[in-house]
Amino acid sequence: MPDRSMVLQMQAVTKVYGTGDAAVAALDSVDFQAQTGEVVVVMGPSGAGKTTFLTIAGALLRPTAGTIEIAGTDITRLREKDLPAIRREKVGFIFQSFNLLEALTALENVRLVIADEATTERAATNRARELLDMLGLSHRLKSLPKQLSGGEKQRVGIARALANNPDLILADEPTANLDSKRGLEVMRLLRRIAIELDKGVVVVSHDHRMREVAHRVVWLEDGRFRSDVVTARDPVCGQVVEVEVAPTASFEGHSYYFCAEQCLKLFEANPHRYAGPAE
Amino acid sequence: MLLVTRKNLFSEPTRLAISVGGVAVSVLLITFLLALFRGWNEKVGGFVENVDADIWIAREGTTDFLAAGSILPTERGEQLSSVPGVERWSPLIVRPMTATKGATKDGTEMDVQLVGYDPQSAMGGPVRMEEGKGVPGPGEVVVDEALSHRYGVDIGDSIAAAGRDWTVVGKSSGGDFVASQTIFVALDEAQEALEMEGLATFFLLKLRDPSQGEQVAEAIESADPRVLAITNDDFAAATRDRVLSDVIPILMVILILAFTVGLVVAALTIYTATVEKAREYGILKAVGFSNGYLYRVVFEQSLVTGLLGFLIGAGLTVVVGPLTQEVVPQFVVFIRWQDVLGVAGFTLLMVLIAAYVPTRRLAAIDPVAVFKA
Repeated sequence: MPDRSMVLQMQAVTKVYGTGDAAVAALDSVDFQAQTGEVVVVMGPSGAGKTTFLTIAGALLRPTAGTIEIAGTDITRLREKDLPAIRREKVGFIFQSFNLLEALTALENVRLVIADEATTERAATNRARELLDMLGLSHRLKSLPKQLSGGEKQRVGIARALANNPDLILADEPTANLDSKRGLEVMRLLRRIAIELDKGVVVVSHDHRMREVAHRVVWLEDGRFRSDVVTARDPVCGQVVEVEVAPTASFEGHSYYFCAEQCLKLFEANPHRYAGPAE
Repeated sequence: MLLVTRKNLFSEPTRLAISVGGVAVSVLLITFLLALFRGWNEKVGGFVENVDADIWIAREGTTDFLAAGSILPTERGEQLSSVPGVERWSPLIVRPMTATKGATKDGTEMDVQLVGYDPQSAMGGPVRMEEGKGVPGPGEVVVDEALSHRYGVDIGDSIAAAGRDWTVVGKSSGGDFVASQTIFVALDEAQEALEMEGLATFFLLKLRDPSQGEQVAEAIESADPRVLAITNDDFAAATRDRVLSDVIPILMVILILAFTVGLVVAALTIYTATVEKAREYGILKAVGFSNGYLYRVVFEQSLVTGLLGFLIGAGLTVVVGPLTQEVVPQFVVFIRWQDVLGVAGFTLLMVLIAAYVPTRRLAAIDPVAVFKA
C-alpha cells in the first residue's frame, strides 16, 4: 500500500444561501476527506448540494462556516485574491460540458494553464504535449474543440486538469455528455490517474457506472452526507437513486426504482425494454 | 501578446475587421481634419509671415490682410521715414477681386488678391519665384503657382483683372490663401488700374532692430491714431484668425464626432466579444486565472485593435491626402509628425475607454456558472 496523503479535508463546512426566512443551507456542517490514490464519488439527488460541495472544495465559493484544506493549505484563511493561484496550482477541474476554449487548439487549451512566469513557453508546450500523448491524443494536438468528439474533448479537459500536476482533481459529472463507451473510458482514465499519478480524485456524478471505478461512494442529500442510504440504478435514465424515497415498480418479481415519475411512466409503458437484472 | 488575446482576435476576422475598420475610419477622419487645419493654417498666414517687413501700417479699423478696406495716402508714408528705428518703408496695394482667365471677361473666374508692390524695394512682392520673370513690368503679372495649377494659367497667358488685361510672365509660390491666390503687378500699374494714384493699402516698414517692433508700432499709433501699426507676426496671426476662427469650431465638432464614432465602434465590438465569450472568461477564472489576467486580455485586444486601426487610418491619410489635394486644390493637407503622434495618443485614449466597460463586466462573471451544463 503506497503512502497516502490528505489532499482535501473539509470540516464542519456549511454554506447558507440567503438570509432570514429565505435562508437555505446547501451544505450543513459537512465533513469530508479525500486522499491521494483514491477516487471518491459523491452521489445524490438533484438539489442535494453536490455542485455547492464541489465549488467550495475547489476554492471557487467561500463557505459560510467551517474549514477547508487543500493539499495542506487552509484556503478559508486566504484572501480572495489568493484563491485563483490555489485553483491553478493545487486543483484540476474536469467539467461536464468540457469547457474548452473554442478558439484554442487541444495543445493550446492545455498549454494555456501551464504558462506562467516560472515556466518557459517551450517547457509548457512539452508538458502539454506529454499529457495529450499520455491520453492518446497525440494526433489531435492541433485540432480545435469543434473538430473533436465528446470523448476527445473530455480527455483534453482531463489533460488540462493535470497540466499543473495538482494533488486534487475535482470532476463534475464527467461522463454526463458522453455515450456509454466514451463514458466508461473516461471513468477508467480517472481511476488510472488516481492510482498511477497518485492524485486524489473527487467526482460528483449521477452515473451509476462511476461506482465501478470508485474506491468510495458517498451520498449527499439535503446538504449532509448520509451513510445509511441504500441506492439503486434507475433502469430508464441510469441515475443512482435512493431506494427509500424513489418511485418504485415491480416487474417479473423484481423491484425497480426511479429518479422521477417520468422515468417510472416510461418503464411502465414498456417494461421489457428497460428491465434487466435489478440492482 | 497573450495567447488568448491573439486567438480571440484572429479567430473572428469579421469582428476584427469591423472593429479595426471603425478605429481606422476615425483615425483617418481625425488625421485628415488635422492635416487640413494645418494646411490652411500654413497657407493662410504664410504670405504675410514671409513678407520682408517688421511692421504693417493700415487705416485704423483694419483687421487683417484679406479684408483690408484700408486706404492710405502715400505722402503719409514719407513721414514714417522719420520715425526713430525705421530703416525703410514701402507702399503696398492689396485688393481682393475676381479675375478672369483669358483676355476677355468671358473666361473662367478666379478669386485673387491683386498685389501692387514696389519692384525696387521688392517688399510685399512674390515670396519665391518658381518660374519666369521675377519682376513684372508694364501690363505684366506674376501669378501664384497654386492659381496656375488650379485654373491652368501659364506663362504667356492673359488674365483680366481691375479692368485691364495682363500677361503672365512668371509663377511664384507662397501666396496661396486657399480660397484666393495672389497675383503681383508693379505698384504704379496697380495704382493706375485701380485709380489709386497717390494711395496705398498698406505701408510696410523695415526696422533697424526688428526686436523693437512692438515699441515702434506703439509710437506710430500714438503719433497718429488714424492708423493701425501692427507687427508682422501679429498681422499674420490676425489673417489666420480671419479665415480659421469660423472653421475651427466646425472642425472641432467633426473631430469629436470622429472620435466618438471610433470609440463607439471599438467599444461595442469589444464589449459584445466579451459578452459572447463570458463563459470562456468564466472557465479561465475557474481554472485559476485572476481578474487581472482577464483585464489584460481585453486591454490587449483593444490595444491591438487600436494599433491596427491607427496604422491603417494614418496610412490611408498619407496616401489619400495628397490625392485629394490633387483633385480638390482647396483641400490643402499638411501632415506633421507631431499631429500623427497626437492622433496616436487619441487612439490610445479611445481604445482604453473602449476596454474599460468590458472589464467591469469581466469582474462580475461568476466562475461557478461554468459548472452548469
